[in-house]
Amino acid sequence: MLQVTGLSGGYPPVSVFRDVDLTVGEDEAVGLFGPNGHGKSTLLSTVAGLLDPWRGEIRFDGRRLNAPGDMPARLSRHVNYDLFRPRRMRARHAVRAGLIYVMQGNRLFPEMTVDEVLGIAPKAAMGRAGVGEMYDLAHDLFPVLRRRRRSKIRYLSGGERQMVSIAVALLAVPRLLILDEPTLGLAPRLRLELAEAVGRIREAGTPLVLVDQNIEFLTGLVDRLHLFVNGTIAAEIDRTERPSHESIMTLMFGGAAR
Amino acid sequence: MKYAPPFHHSSALLPVLAAGAVLTVLPLIFTDAYIRHICILAFIYAILASSWDLSLGYGGIFNFAHMAFFAIGLYAYGIGAKIVGLNPWLTVLLAPVAAIAFAALLAVPVLRLEGVYVILVTIAASQLLLKLIVSQSEVTGGTSGMVLLPRLTIGDYRLTDDGRIGYYYAALAMLGLSTLFLYKLERSPLGRAIKALRDNKYYAIARGVSEGRTRLYTLCASALLPGLAGAFYGSYVRVASIEVFGLAFLTLVLSILLVGGVSTIWGPILAAFLIAVFSEVLADFGSWRDIAVALAIVGVILLYPGGLFAGLQELRDFLDSRKTAATAAWGRRFQAGARAALMGAPGRSIATGHGEVALFDTGEEKPALLLIHGNSSCKEAFHRQVAAFRDRYRIVAFDLPGHGVSRNGNPRTDYSLDAYARIAAEIVGILELDRPAVFGWSLGGYVALEYAAGGHPLGTLAICGTSPLSLYPDDMPAGYIASPHMELASKRFFSWREKRDYAEATLATRAPGSGLARRAVWRTDGRAREQLFSRMKTVDWQRQVAFLRRGTAPFAMINGSEDPFIDHAYCAAFEYGAIWRGAPQSIDGAGHAPFLAAPETFNRLLGEFLEECASGWHAEKSGPAVPRFARTPEFRTTEE
Amino acid sequence: MTFETFQFILASGLILGGLYALMAIGLSVVWTTLDVFNFAHGAFVALGAYIAWQVAQYGEGLWGFVFAAGVSVGLMFVLGFILHFCLIKPFEKRPNIVLLAVITTLAASVVIESLIQLVWGPREKQISPAVSGRIEVFGTGFVANDVVALAVALAALAALALFLRRTGTGRAMRAAAQNREAAEAMGFNVTVLYATALGIAAAAAALAGVFIGSLRFINPSFGADPLMKSLIVVIFGGVAKFTSPIYAAFILGVVEAFSIYFLGLYWSPAVLFGLMVVVLLVKPEGLFGHRRKTL
Repeated sequence: MLQVTGLSGGYPPVSVFRDVDLTVGEDEAVGLFGPNGHGKSTLLSTVAGLLDPWRGEIRFDGRRLNAPGDMPARLSRHVNYDLFRPRRMRARHAVRAGLIYVMQGNRLFPEMTVDEVLGIAPKAAMGRAGVGEMYDLAHDLFPVLRRRRRSKIRYLSGGERQMVSIAVALLAVPRLLILDEPTLGLAPRLRLELAEAVGRIREAGTPLVLVDQNIEFLTGLVDRLHLFVNGTIAAEIDRTERPSHESIMTLMFGGAAR
Repeated sequence: MKYAPPFHHSSALLPVLAAGAVLTVLPLIFTDAYIRHICILAFIYAILASSWDLSLGYGGIFNFAHMAFFAIGLYAYGIGAKIVGLNPWLTVLLAPVAAIAFAALLAVPVLRLEGVYVILVTIAASQLLLKLIVSQSEVTGGTSGMVLLPRLTIGDYRLTDDGRIGYYYAALAMLGLSTLFLYKLERSPLGRAIKALRDNKYYAIARGVSEGRTRLYTLCASALLPGLAGAFYGSYVRVASIEVFGLAFLTLVLSILLVGGVSTIWGPILAAFLIAVFSEVLADFGSWRDIAVALAIVGVILLYPGGLFAGLQELRDFLDSRKTAATAAWGRRFQAGARAALMGAPGRSIATGHGEVALFDTGEEKPALLLIHGNSSCKEAFHRQVAAFRDRYRIVAFDLPGHGVSRNGNPRTDYSLDAYARIAAEIVGILELDRPAVFGWSLGGYVALEYAAGGHPLGTLAICGTSPLSLYPDDMPAGYIASPHMELASKRFFSWREKRDYAEATLATRAPGSGLARRAVWRTDGRAREQLFSRMKTVDWQRQVAFLRRGTAPFAMINGSEDPFIDHAYCAAFEYGAIWRGAPQSIDGAGHAPFLAAPETFNRLLGEFLEECASGWHAEKSGPAVPRFARTPEFRTTEE
Repeated sequence: MTFETFQFILASGLILGGLYALMAIGLSVVWTTLDVFNFAHGAFVALGAYIAWQVAQYGEGLWGFVFAAGVSVGLMFVLGFILHFCLIKPFEKRPNIVLLAVITTLAASVVIESLIQLVWGPREKQISPAVSGRIEVFGTGFVANDVVALAVALAALAALALFLRRTGTGRAMRAAAQNREAAEAMGFNVTVLYATALGIAAAAAALAGVFIGSLRFINPSFGADPLMKSLIVVIFGGVAKFTSPIYAAFILGVVEAFSIYFLGLYWSPAVLFGLMVVVLLVKPEGLFGHRRKTL
């Protein structure tokens, strides 16, 4: 489904992640786990086309999403390269292919109502069938959507906003869904609720890339789990055996050194 | 601590002196009054634009009332000198007071607003002022303005006489003073507070910068110079009209500021001349001139938003890297003999994945000792170690890219700890060194640590003048003593004086034979310093710390007790898995380069370390590695 | 003051307000979506008027006027759409975009003004009004053209509001204005939406220009006045929402009409500015504004 090979990127001139290889198969859920500030979200934003990849390849369904070749170097520090260099990847192409990304802590559109936001969401489906079922699924997962349909997003709580974000992504009829820390900053009860929702999305057959800081949350939901440290995928964690604190620490800070 | 050398020590001194000299002599060469007129206008534009930079660029306040400050100066002069009948000179000096008062008034709404609202309010305020001036036509002459304002005179001598030479020098002097004022202000605590508020408002407030007061001062300071320039302008053109409120004038001055470069004092001054001349050259083309000037400005901004000053810096950058490359080439060609004499053997060049580097290798079948030099230095800094150890060890040393007689590297790929460590690994591979002892000094210490942590073949490791860091830049204040010279380590361009200071701070410059290393500061590619530090954040520090804490390889730290940079207490308190003699070793009286300042003591220590390692000190002492963490990273595991 | 006079003043205030609203709406749409202040707005008004004048030379009467207005609005939309790619888009990733856009839009206004000067010359012109004569509303006679202007302005504003609130593209535009990244992640072509916003602003400016041109004489630099007027409106109402300048425009129009009647032409600008100073001191973010901006 998704094949990321040798991907490097960041915010020029600062490189954030390097040589990342990641594959997600049909009907598979892959987890990414790692400490804050090590570039997980930057990686996913790049995969979703919000940032230009520097090097490497993003293939979705065998089709290459980013422009071939490496990003040309910026020789001058001040020349406005945005003027004449086209983007190397566009989010709307990824969305059109069905690669849907739910940003971390998405603020969404503060002055629009829930209904309005959900109303424009199916445009991202680009004519893929199944908006209706997804609409039902979303409302089934999050009954709060119907209750708060006329509220502006900015009056929603963090958890509700997260639910709207996920619902928006569902309405795009994702063929692969990337969830970036869906439970960030939520109360334990809400976290459980969201975990359950993610589980049901998983059961519905949507391939997932799931990022979280909470390894418990991840191991319950994904087929494979990668450790992401210092801008690269450092190791694969055996999901069946719950790793201890010590072993995670060693993986992160000791084991990563060859 | 911010490194801010006095002006006469900075590299801006020469260009400014040269420009000052040229401008002083210029009217003596061109006696044509028209050319002087253009220059006088350019001086006034330069004052206007560079002082606007204070609020717009440094302060980040979208103050569009700057032309109103100028107009207030202009009308204050007109009213004071013509209607009230004050002395023109006195009026010129008093006019800024009116402008500052207006700025203080304007500050009331501006203090409460942000971003585009400030644009709206300041434009509205200037329009309000315009309406006021137009409505008071008995005093201000309304839309037709005031004419025949008094001139400035010295005794009976009118400044307009002799082809306006008096005004020329007066304007030049004013530009000089205004630039001095801005330069000093920018570097004053107030200037730093202004910039801090722009860059990170809440952080600055949290650190005790008063937002309201600083913004008030910014606006007032920004109003002082246009007030002065406005009054001077009034005395020069002898007309006060409402044209100064027009969009055309605003466009002119703003484009000078932006084409010159925002947040640079010199850029707008340069651009003022350029645009004044450019628009005079096209003066005969009417509307086409306006179109051409506007398109040129848009073109510059679109293609090169940094402006003229950034362009000059980039040019300087290019020339500087060429110069250092030429210096290195000259050194390769003509100093080989001097280097060989100092090191006791000739060097050679070796190709690596990061370009060609200069290599020194005694090349016999002995245990290898790899020496890595520090920032802005060269391998010849280790000549005393070469002399002392070459009978027992095979000594290998190399110049990092951009240093010594190596070639300059590609700034994007070759100037990082990572690249340096890979070069070391490649050299070890090419020379087929078997588990060398690695010694790194200062920056080279990090290269050595990176090399070791990367799992490359290693016998023993010793570092000097390097504080192990677990987080960058968070640990920098703990590991190092803040000093202005620390700032130099990452500075791209060194003035002559800075080179000398840096050499004195890092090297034992009085030690015999330190000449080559001292001159290496002159040769070093400034981009190497800058790029290395800008890439420090991406270094895998945890891996280095993990390596040190594991203690699987023998490790020694030998510092100078008088090292001006590193914090000895921090180094001593760091949790090493296994460190030779249980703690960092200190050489009394030596500075950052003990191997040069006190070579005998240093060589004795290093020799003992290497010998004790060979005889198995480490194997006895080090137990099983238990990772311990002084600092747990932000990280959650649930234990439910 | 009789009731009739009151009615008359109120009505002319509303007509003025309609024009102000039409002029200010463009500024506020651009600010709320693109986060920049468009200094070329006055030049857009002027260029729109001149294009309409040119087209109106080929046809007389109501349909000539309608055709001229249509061509002008359409052309200005296209121009605004294109100008986004020249003036604003190249800087969208730069932190100092506000400043850079100020200078590029200022330069654009210089270029447009000079081009008008070159093409149409400095002489004053007037577009022949859509309808002539007077019509009677609620027993008071009005210049018919004024009433048409108000009606069209109201219709245009309503259409814009409907477009933004009800249609998919309009909602997408609001979404892109409120959170660019999230809109991009939802697959919208944000660049095109942003360019459309500048196009709409230019079209609204053109429409205002057409009516101003039919009410009074125009010359190449007459755009500066509408720019300042819209600025006052926007300050007065705030730019937080795209509707706030509309209310402000009508309030200001009515206040201006009354102050002209009671205090005369000479003092009415002073009243407006006095009002503005009070607003600035009491509620600097505008009467209807809050400090956050949204479309």
